[in-house]
Amino acid sequence: MNASPVQAENVAKHFGRTRALDGCSFSLPEGSVTGLVGPNGAGKSTLLSLIAGLAKPTSGEITVHGTAVHGRMHPDVSLLTQKRPLYDQFTVREMMRAGAAMNDRWSSARADEVLDLLAGVDKDAKVRTLSAGARTQVAIAFALGRLPKVLLLDEPLSDLDPLARDETLRIVMTDVAERGTTVLLSSHLLTDLGDVCDHLLLLDEGRVQVAGDIDGILDEHRVVVGPAGLDLETDGVVVDSSHTSRQTTALVRGGGVPEGFQATHPDLEALVMGYLRASRTRKLVRAQ
Amino acid sequence: MTWIVWRQQRPVFITLVAGLVVAVAAILLLRAVMVADLTAGNLLDCVGKGLEACGPAANDFQTTWFDRLHLAEATVLAAPVLIGVFVGAPLFAREFEQGTHALAFTQSVSRTRWMATKFVVAALPALVVVLVYQLVVHSWLDAAGQLGPLSTGPFYFTTFEAQGVSPVAYTLFAYTLGMFAGAVFKRTLVAMTLTLGLFVAVRAVLTGVREHLITPTRVLSDDLDARTVERGPLVVESGFLDAKGAVVADPTPMMNCAGKGDAQGAVDFAACYRENGLAQRYSDVIPVDQVTTLHLLEASIFAGLAVLFVLGSVWAVRRQV
Repeated sequence: MNASPVQAENVAKHFGRTRALDGCSFSLPEGSVTGLVGPNGAGKSTLLSLIAGLAKPTSGEITVHGTAVHGRMHPDVSLLTQKRPLYDQFTVREMMRAGAAMNDRWSSARADEVLDLLAGVDKDAKVRTLSAGARTQVAIAFALGRLPKVLLLDEPLSDLDPLARDETLRIVMTDVAERGTTVLLSSHLLTDLGDVCDHLLLLDEGRVQVAGDIDGILDEHRVVVGPAGLDLETDGVVVDSSHTSRQTTALVRGGGVPEGFQATHPDLEALVMGYLRASRTRKLVRAQ
Repeated sequence: MTWIVWRQQRPVFITLVAGLVVAVAAILLLRAVMVADLTAGNLLDCVGKGLEACGPAANDFQTTWFDRLHLAEATVLAAPVLIGVFVGAPLFAREFEQGTHALAFTQSVSRTRWMATKFVVAALPALVVVLVYQLVVHSWLDAAGQLGPLSTGPFYFTTFEAQGVSPVAYTLFAYTLGMFAGAVFKRTLVAMTLTLGLFVAVRAVLTGVREHLITPTRVLSDDLDARTVERGPLVVESGFLDAKGAVVADPTPMMNCAGKGDAQGAVDFAACYRENGLAQRYSDVIPVDQVTTLHLLEASIFAGLAVLFVLGSVWAVRRQV
């Protein structure tokens, strides 16, 4: 059986009355790089911690390479959490020794390789003294030392300067190219995502809105522009629409080009923005 | 895993050991000065006999040293709560605060092994430090013998609580209490405060329970006008028996000897009491030779609480995201 690296079936996670995730189903193809996007509080971090086995789903099941995740880290998975937790008083070298001690499978060669990339990290420096970029590099080295087949990255690019962001992505992409790692990464930085991701998983209010191959998704959606006042008649789904005094713009999923409108396919950024705006509008309407 | 915890706890170890070295040096110095005092006052023989058998030099000696020795016992009483607050409470709370628990939980090592290693590696040095300090303080108390706090017997609360297995049992209790509070509340400061408060409360309550752990021995005396028991045993209860051997619930009216004085005004209380119907004086005591049993019984209560806190911590850490 050639099972998907990560598969979720009807996964739900409730914290008391809050539904962080509800009825989530998707599967990541082998060797894909999937961007996990959605507004704040959409359930991205929750989803990643469920896949890593940090938390147990309220219902449904997540499998990694066909094995169900049951509140325990799958040996093939590595997770880099948002806070990038490391033992602050350790030196980088001691941190890597800790990684070797805590793992059945560990490659110090691989970890060192990642640490030496780019400007290189001083291995005798205390972790707490590192810059945000170097700290992320150490955290990634720690995650890759486990030789994961699935790499989960929660906001790996937040608080990095553009250069460090670019370099961090390069480290990850090198691993993908060399070892065929499957990556699921959450980020708000849509331009960076567009450069590296081939798949998209869009979450909103704990539900999967869009999932699949980015080219296919972009193909399925249209940005349509028409004169103000003209009814938008389409057999597709209007994701989001906005009106100015002169024109109507809408993001439409499926269907043909509506009468009187000009249609183009959106880029990743426009697509995600459309969904995010629609999400906020729904929340505003509900709040009233 | 052991190495990681050792490395994490290194600053705590260094502090513990440094504290121990300073404290032991101070105690040994004080002990040497005190022994020199004993020698100078020619009191070395008195150490075994007690104050009554010795002259004014012994009084002078006690004026200088008795309170200092008591204070040393008090520091042994304080050691367990310090371990609970500064070693137990931050053990898990600091990991949760800094998010490093998620680092450990996303590696191959199981949560149970992570917890067990942290528990053992942090606890052992703390327990050893408390035990060593207790023994050093005790050697000082021994040197003062019956001229020091030991003269009030092994059941006197500061002496009892600073001896035998008690300090280690209290330490284990304080440490696991801190660990549990940290695992549940995930805030170091909250856990430290709770540990301090709960430790003091539980210790205060259980100090009163101590004397009920052993069925006392009844000591009878026909001498109605004297103390039946010398200093040493723990007196749980004392009073009078009537002629049938039953306890007199309220002997106060029978002790009224007004107008029973002889020509000189002196009262023969014994004769007066007997006339009033009091036959014997009794004391329910825990004899000195049962002190080890009492230490073990009390320690088992604290050990039992420690087991509950360990189980509670396991539950709290396992449900942690």
